[in-house]
Amino acid sequence: MYALFSIAGGLSTGLIGFYLGLGLVAIVRGITGHDAYDEQVSITIGYVCGLIGWLMGIGMWGAWGREWFGLRTYWRKAPGWQRYFTFSPDHKVIGIQYLVTFIVVFLLAGLGAMLMRWELMESGMQLFNHDQYNAVMSLHGILMVAVAVAAVIGGLGNYFVPLMIGAEDMAFPRLNALTYWLVPPVAAMLLATPFLGGIEHGWTAYPPLSVVTDSSQILFGLAVITFGLTSILGGLNFIITIIYMRAPGMTWGRLPIFVWSMFVTSWMALLYTQGFAVALLMVLLDRIAGMSFFNAEAGGDPLLYQHVFWFYSHPAVYIMVLPGFGIALEVISHFSRKPLFAYRYAVGGLLGILGLGGVVWAHHMFTSGMPNYLHGPFLVATEAISIPTGLVFLAALGTIWMGRLWLRTPMLFGLAVIFNFACGGVTGIFLADVPTDIHLQDTYFVVAHFHYTIVGGEIFGLFAGIYYWFPKMTGRMYNEKLAQLHFWWMFISFNVTFFVMHWPGIQGMNRRIADYPESLENVNLFVSISAFLLGASFLVFIYNMIYSWIRGPVAEANPWAARTIEWQVSSPPPVENFPEPPVVRGHPYDYGVPGSVHAVFPGAATIPAGAGGGQ
Amino acid sequence: MRRHVISAAVLWVILTAIGEALAFADLYPTVGSTEADDFDRIFRILIVMGMPVFTFVIAVLFYCVLRFGSFGMPAGDGPAYRGTGPGPKVWLAVTGSLALTVMIFPGLTGLAKLQPDKNGNGWGEPNAELVVRVAGFRWSWTMEYVDAGVTVSTAQGKELVLPIDTHVKFEIDSTDVVHSFWIPAFRMKIDAIPGRTTHMTVKPTVLGRFEDDDAYRVQCAELCGLDHSTMTFPVRVVPRAEFEQWLQSQKPAAAAE
Repeated sequence: MYALFSIAGGLSTGLIGFYLGLGLVAIVRGITGHDAYDEQVSITIGYVCGLIGWLMGIGMWGAWGREWFGLRTYWRKAPGWQRYFTFSPDHKVIGIQYLVTFIVVFLLAGLGAMLMRWELMESGMQLFNHDQYNAVMSLHGILMVAVAVAAVIGGLGNYFVPLMIGAEDMAFPRLNALTYWLVPPVAAMLLATPFLGGIEHGWTAYPPLSVVTDSSQILFGLAVITFGLTSILGGLNFIITIIYMRAPGMTWGRLPIFVWSMFVTSWMALLYTQGFAVALLMVLLDRIAGMSFFNAEAGGDPLLYQHVFWFYSHPAVYIMVLPGFGIALEVISHFSRKPLFAYRYAVGGLLGILGLGGVVWAHHMFTSGMPNYLHGPFLVATEAISIPTGLVFLAALGTIWMGRLWLRTPMLFGLAVIFNFACGGVTGIFLADVPTDIHLQDTYFVVAHFHYTIVGGEIFGLFAGIYYWFPKMTGRMYNEKLAQLHFWWMFISFNVTFFVMHWPGIQGMNRRIADYPESLENVNLFVSISAFLLGASFLVFIYNMIYSWIRGPVAEANPWAARTIEWQVSSPPPVENFPEPPVVRGHPYDYGVPGSVHAVFPGAATIPAGAGGGQ
Repeated sequence: MRRHVISAAVLWVILTAIGEALAFADLYPTVGSTEADDFDRIFRILIVMGMPVFTFVIAVLFYCVLRFGSFGMPAGDGPAYRGTGPGPKVWLAVTGSLALTVMIFPGLTGLAKLQPDKNGNGWGEPNAELVVRVAGFRWSWTMEYVDAGVTVSTAQGKELVLPIDTHVKFEIDSTDVVHSFWIPAFRMKIDAIPGRTTHMTVKPTVLGRFEDDDAYRVQCAELCGLDHSTMTFPVRVVPRAEFEQWLQSQKPAAAAE
């Protein structure tokens, strides 16, 4: 009942806000002598008011808003699973909220991919018309981008960063709750676009197309701007948390690599997300206020958008993939029973990517007709970023070399990240080199490449993290046999699908097309069938997760004998995280070092934590 | 340790030898121009250069999993290597020089050949024997042979005809949204943008036509809305004499007769 009450409260105040917004527009327009309703303006203002109403109704008013008027704040306390439907400040609740929400979005967007592959099985149009295909393709794109940006950092990051650094919670718990509760409206808006005509312009929303297309673009723009806000606020929260909330003794040199990856990712989100929001705000203003930023006839320039957009959207791929690296390295060290090889170089690699990530964006625009003198510098910077990325590989390969590899599911997914990204990295060279990029730009070669890097690098990392931390989050163990089945099924079908997909790209099949030349029919049929198998592999995952969460055997506190702090508390951890605050004494990955200790709980008369493993 | 290094190195060499076969495979559409020749050559060079990097990772990964992996929990911890020796510095030097190499060749050298004009907005020689002005619009193209005063479109001419062994320069713009002018057989593309003119120069070297080979087509390669996927236009490369003949037949006067 609590859950129902909470959600219904948010929805009703949200709707009230929306109609207040419409009314406001109607009054102002009426006074100034216009029609009371204008689709684009009314939706925009209605959305902003509705969003505020939704947030207040879901619980922000009680927990935060009352304070602005000198009133006493309160939290809705819901028992058991129902707390996941409330405005909760607990980072563990928020982590689960993020994770489950984005898994659902991931599956919906994946369903979109299945429909696209169905259409592409044959040349000509079967399932969709052009309009519907573009809408499904665009929705798949933007939903998956959202998943890739936020699933790991919002879900696993929220849950485990405070635990791994020995903190009680995030630095700003209410802000944390706010960042999550901004997400459902974003998802709802994006999923509503098909009813206003569907997104026609892909997730990149290049003008002038995005200025002249139908009104669903407004929903798209507002949703993405809101989503950018959650990214920025979340990034800010992580940065402050990691700087100020570390346990005594948790120096920068002892920070688990996953926390480092979250730190770097947060900086990326904080520094660059404005680019996407501002680009779409300019499109919005072009549409509802006729500002002509991108209208060449009125002095604007369509290329302006591409620069601002990619200024965010290239760093965004590092926002997506660095968390994958972080989880992979974390898991690889624990499951190799060895210290993380060249830890400082790995951290340096992450920081190097942060430094270079902001100056490579125009490699997405090599064929855009930008001035010729820009190509050289961006080619050089893009090739240079392979050097810090190589350090991540050094750490991974150095760690597994001569290790005691324990091939449980998290480790398999962690190793798969390295495998997949090796392929995605090498195909990246073909796209960073202008002479080959000219032909390959905007083809299925690019589609295959970025699925290798983002799905292969991050989503595999996400699954590594989900399996790794499943016992900690739920207190129960997943089914190992089903998990291994999921891994091999997904790994093989993923690689077959996307490795083969490079070839139609070289052959001249461009991306984002509902129809293609008949000569490419066989290879597309093959890719489609393989993609269906890939899609089916997630059924095993869903079954395993749901069944194990409810019925799985009770897990121990530290089933992996791992050394980091989150494994030294009960599964799941108590609300306050640590009955006694931890003190860090040594490096998190000192496997095989006699007498080494990572963290102790001096207040409790317990054995030193993190001394597990083969001591 | 030494035994492991040698075994992993052997695995690496074997995988590389297998992988390099990809450089000899014919993965490409019809080679229709000198630019296509360059593309295929550079693509193969990059396979040759990239394959050992890829197989190095795969070889170490597979070797470790097969040799050091177990499904049960390991009895003890591994050796506590932390990478404090010279290893990481060697790694940095090797990856750094590899990146530098790819940057210079085929990256910047190839770029220099493609962009003789540093201030232009496109590929190839700014001067050419034949200039074709291209306008993209949703969802087709018009092509104007500037000197001859001939324009082809879906209504008139219905195909882009080009003379063989001639430098043809396309000057491209768009009347509505961003498109991209791409001919797979020539491996060249450049966006069509409202408000600025981009260009690309190609030199067709092989006769061909769309009816026999769909690599001979203009394809829009930048999402432009509803009928983006079918925004194509047939291309035919013909001997020079035949081209002149065709051009005459397309002139407005001739068409009116």
